Amino acid sequence: MKEYSKTNTAVFYLILICLSLMSLGPIVLMLLTSLKLKVDIFNEVSTFIFMPTLKNYSSVLHDPSLMRYLGNSLYVGLISTLLTLVMGCMAAYAIVRFRFMGRDAVSLTTLLMRMIPPAVLTVPVFAIWTFQYQLGNNLHGLILVYVAINLPFVIWILQSFIEQVPIQLEEAARVDGANPFQVFFLVVLPVIKPGLAAAAIFTFRIAWNEFILALVLTNRATRTTPVHISLFLTEHNIDWGQIMAMGMLIAIPPIIFTFVASKQIITGMTAGAVKG
Amino acid sequence: MSEIILENVVKRYGNVAVIDGLNLTMEDNEFTVLVGPSGCGKSTTLRMIAGLETVTSGEIYIGGKPVSHLEPKDRDIAMVFQDYALYPHMNVAKNMSFALRLARQSKTEIDKRVKKVAEMLGIEPLLARKPAQLSGGQRQRVAMGRALVRDSGTFLFDEPLSNLDAKLRAQMRAELALMRQRLEKNMVYVTHDQVEAMTLGDRIVVMHQGIIQQQGTAEELYKKPVNKFVAGFLGSPPMNFFDGILGESEGQLMVSGDGFTLPLPDEVKARIQARSEKAVTVGIRPSAFLLSPASGRQVQLELPIILSEYIGSQSVIVSNLGGQQILIEVGSDTPLTANEVLSFAIDPESIYLFDAEAEVAL
Repeated sequence: MKEYSKTNTAVFYLILICLSLMSLGPIVLMLLTSLKLKVDIFNEVSTFIFMPTLKNYSSVLHDPSLMRYLGNSLYVGLISTLLTLVMGCMAAYAIVRFRFMGRDAVSLTTLLMRMIPPAVLTVPVFAIWTFQYQLGNNLHGLILVYVAINLPFVIWILQSFIEQVPIQLEEAARVDGANPFQVFFLVVLPVIKPGLAAAAIFTFRIAWNEFILALVLTNRATRTTPVHISLFLTEHNIDWGQIMAMGMLIAIPPIIFTFVASKQIITGMTAGAVKG
Repeated sequence: MSEIILENVVKRYGNVAVIDGLNLTMEDNEFTVLVGPSGCGKSTTLRMIAGLETVTSGEIYIGGKPVSHLEPKDRDIAMVFQDYALYPHMNVAKNMSFALRLARQSKTEIDKRVKKVAEMLGIEPLLARKPAQLSGGQRQRVAMGRALVRDSGTFLFDEPLSNLDAKLRAQMRAELALMRQRLEKNMVYVTHDQVEAMTLGDRIVVMHQGIIQQQGTAEELYKKPVNKFVAGFLGSPPMNFFDGILGESEGQLMVSGDGFTLPLPDEVKARIQARSEKAVTVGIRPSAFLLSPASGRQVQLELPIILSEYIGSQSVIVSNLGGQQILIEVGSDTPLTANEVLSFAIDPESIYLFDAEAEVAL
């Protein structure tokens, strides 16, 4: 029995190591490349042995436009996350708790909408945003698309969290004198905080990384960072060092965001609410 | 002042009537216990009083005011839920003060009331803890405290002790009884446990299939059950029932069945002489079998011991009368051996008779 579980643990760790290598590999490669001079990048012998330099970082950080694009990305990411969560939690609550005609259909079609790849939306969204509503080249237009793309999934996750909130909690709050809004904001929302955090991480990262829609819906002033990076690929030059340095830098905000948000994901949030 | 009246209350889910024309008056400052088996409609009745379920037809009055169209918060009630329903994200103090905070009471007033109730329930050291850090009994106390802090006219309890272990349940039951003496409040308590019902209730309402079977004090219900259901539901171990036929011998009314012939008291004779129907159901409580020689009008029955269960001060004997299994309760100091045949005396006064068809008491 003991022998068996030992080999089991070994296999388990082996798989874990392989998976970590697979996911960390590209990041390590990105980090190494960002610390290399151009000669080293194209030199096959110096994959791991080279003279590290911060030149790439320095030139990326001295680019005056970077701050603007970072600001754009943050603005789009945070605002679209906020809007998605506010609308998503209310929609999810309605789908779970209210009895109305077509409730199941609404719940299912919400998820179906998630199955449309964003790339398919590019052309129609560009045409409608630009020619019909003058939302092209505007950060708010971008926020609108991101909210639309993320909302179905957020509603779906939050639905399952709200289903787990014991109905007695809401009844207790009603008896305690809470009106429907107070029940929702003072009792239900705090209890599903882990769900909100998970949804926030998910939404923010999609908004932060999205490229195609951002490319067609923004201009020189409203560009987000993924679009900005792509402009390092020019017909004259591909500056891998700077691209990788930039990649390392823009990975930082989502990491911070994830750490902050995941603090809220504490398992067993409802523990102690009912029974025991 | 806050007398509760249910008038012709009906609750239907689709075509199924869960509560069918309920009429009930609960006096002010009375501890009313709704008791019955699962699915008898007792919880639904409580939830209708609380306003958590709508009333299909009929009206509920609290303190003379019709409330069936009012939200729970406008009914001046406080409720303790079966599963406690504590807000997991708030500490004990916040849980208890939630209603007061919603009512925008001043901070000093809130602190004062929370402190007073916490002292009364002995949960003062727990005020800063979250529900997840409490034991079952402590959560139960907090749930109770949350209701008490409100100082409402009416307290509703929905099987509050059913999740506790036996020892804790007995302890909380005693505390509830004490609390009940201290508070001059209207209390409605739902339980399926007849011991809780009989020890706590001023008025016990036995429900079955959405209908009130009988209401009254514990003693009235135990001694004078109106039908077979009430007789079988109250009392532990439950009453034994046999099929019997009424007959007369030498001017004495008798009831006889498989393996027994029992004389009946004279006043019964007067009551049921007019009946043409002779078939009845005979009910005898396990404690009515006396391990002493028959004296006076008592009748002797020879019964074998199939099994005996020692439960402390009492032993329960499983025996057999006319091919039917019966339960007998005797003092536990009686030596009992399996297959031994014992002689029991039965007092005619302790025999219950029910109509075989309608199951009402005769």
